[in-house]
Amino acid sequence: MSDEIRLFVEREARLLDQMRYEEWVGLFLPDARYWVPVSLDQPSPEAGPSHFHDDIQVLMVRTHRLANPRAFGAEPSPRTVHVVSGVTWEEDGDAIVATSSQIMLEYRNRGNFDDDTRLFGGQVTHRLVRREGALRIAHKRIDLINAEGPFNAMLAPL
Amino acid sequence: MATQLREPDRLSPADLVREDAVHRSVYTDPAIFDLEMKRIFGGAWLYLAHRSEFTEPGDYVVRHMGTQAVILTLGKDGAVHAIFNRCSHRGATLCAFDKGSAPHGHQCPYHGWMFNADGSVRFVPYDKGYGDRLDTSEFGITPVRLEEYRGFLFGNLKGDAAPPLADFLGHMKTSIDDLVDRSPTGELECGPYVLRHYYRANWKMTFENLNDTVHPGFAHAASVVSAKAVANEVGGPDNIVPTVGMMLANGKPIQFFQDIDMVTAPGGHSYIGGHMGADYTPDTSDAYTRSLIEYHGPEKARDVLSVDRHLMLLYPSSFWHARYQTLRILRPVRHDLTEMIGFVFRLKGAPEETYRNAIEYCTGANSAASPVISDDLEIYERCLLGNRFGEREWIPTGRGMDEDRERTNTHDRMPATSEGFIRNQFRAWAQYMGQA
Repeated sequence: MSDEIRLFVEREARLLDQMRYEEWVGLFLPDARYWVPVSLDQPSPEAGPSHFHDDIQVLMVRTHRLANPRAFGAEPSPRTVHVVSGVTWEEDGDAIVATSSQIMLEYRNRGNFDDDTRLFGGQVTHRLVRREGALRIAHKRIDLINAEGPFNAMLAPL
Repeated sequence: MATQLREPDRLSPADLVREDAVHRSVYTDPAIFDLEMKRIFGGAWLYLAHRSEFTEPGDYVVRHMGTQAVILTLGKDGAVHAIFNRCSHRGATLCAFDKGSAPHGHQCPYHGWMFNADGSVRFVPYDKGYGDRLDTSEFGITPVRLEEYRGFLFGNLKGDAAPPLADFLGHMKTSIDDLVDRSPTGELECGPYVLRHYYRANWKMTFENLNDTVHPGFAHAASVVSAKAVANEVGGPDNIVPTVGMMLANGKPIQFFQDIDMVTAPGGHSYIGGHMGADYTPDTSDAYTRSLIEYHGPEKARDVLSVDRHLMLLYPSSFWHARYQTLRILRPVRHDLTEMIGFVFRLKGAPEETYRNAIEYCTGANSAASPVISDDLEIYERCLLGNRFGEREWIPTGRGMDEDRERTNTHDRMPATSEGFIRNQFRAWAQYMGQA
């Protein structure tokens, strides 16, 4: 099972890097949430604003938009590569809580030389549940080490 | 780059602003930025903090006035004081964090000098080394003049030479009233978490974009297309979540905005919107509405709820949205670098859902990951790139120039599609910049 969870977390990141967004959104349960807090001590998305606090509909719009030629903010599209490391997990009732360290390197060719490449990094927490034999994401939280920001435009999901 | 102005002393701001155009160097020239910091951010009242951010003596926050950092601290005297975040000895910054508690004063990390909330020297270690050369009464940190309006603290670097805050706010104080009056207890509480983004372009871009109702149909078209596609997929607009609804709203036809009012006021301020129609009746099945009626009585509650304003731009540094209790501060860093800081306020006594709506709005309106904001940031940066070259040096600002609907002593009214708010900003800009 350890292998299965590690492979799941790695595959999720790989789908983003390969821009296979429909498959990526398909990993989330219909009532799932995707959350990037603005502080490492933010207890919940209800306590204040977030960088991302997406339900499945917002994830759908976001990824649909990345494929749209008039999405100026994504023109040209960001390319990313995730490095996933140190996946550990524990059971929490019916769910599995997996944590990993992740670094995402992002590149958008805007003619600004080295400034076109950015690094994001932090701890990623997946709450996974099994549905019809397959693991699905009930909740994904990304605690960026620089959560307090500020950030320039973030197009690619982390 | 013939007209790039390199000598601030010889700068004549009047040469850069015309009635219906502005010279592009106001966005690209570092010398102009430096002068803006002295004359605009050094002369205007700037929103700094809310009284609710301070509960115990020693509670402090660090905010910026243009490019200068100030510490606001609640003193033992019960008043909030503002001082520059700079030790009067060697100049090191005193506070390294945005907020915290310093009940015994602010201590410099270098030689341990300590200062009270009001900037007076509390203690200098090894002061005997100075003999009688150190008069600590002369080494206090300069205080910044503060004034409060209904819990909101504003600072002014001109000190006693500044006009009263009420004069600066003028008609726009009604938009602050709009925010405070929406509380069913009369009180607001600033949320503890702030949301920041930045962009590599001039600070004025945000001011000229946020009340521009013509750009969304183009700049945000991709979000509209995607939001429509998802709305169809989930069974129509009745089934969408508010964030997706906000993106769809950007697809409204220009005529919709033509019918709405834009209001501008002296000082560069503006807002879009006005009042609900005369037949407006608040929905009393709503728990929040009932709590407001209980506090204000039905007539005043109806007056409060019938105010239908969108974003209010308080030139040159803050953006207020009363209905969603969101306040954003603009921090100019360089001529080509700007930070935006978003705050959400809790209407004390209102149902939890009201705060959740405000949080959702703030996230959509100020997150760097918001599909809407990320389009805007891209546009700001492209404008900076494009305004650095080419033959055409003047940017037209004449849209809606002949469409004013009303002119009064305190404010002008025009269609929300007008660029009148930009012309109004540059009138204020030229006035500030012309004052040596």
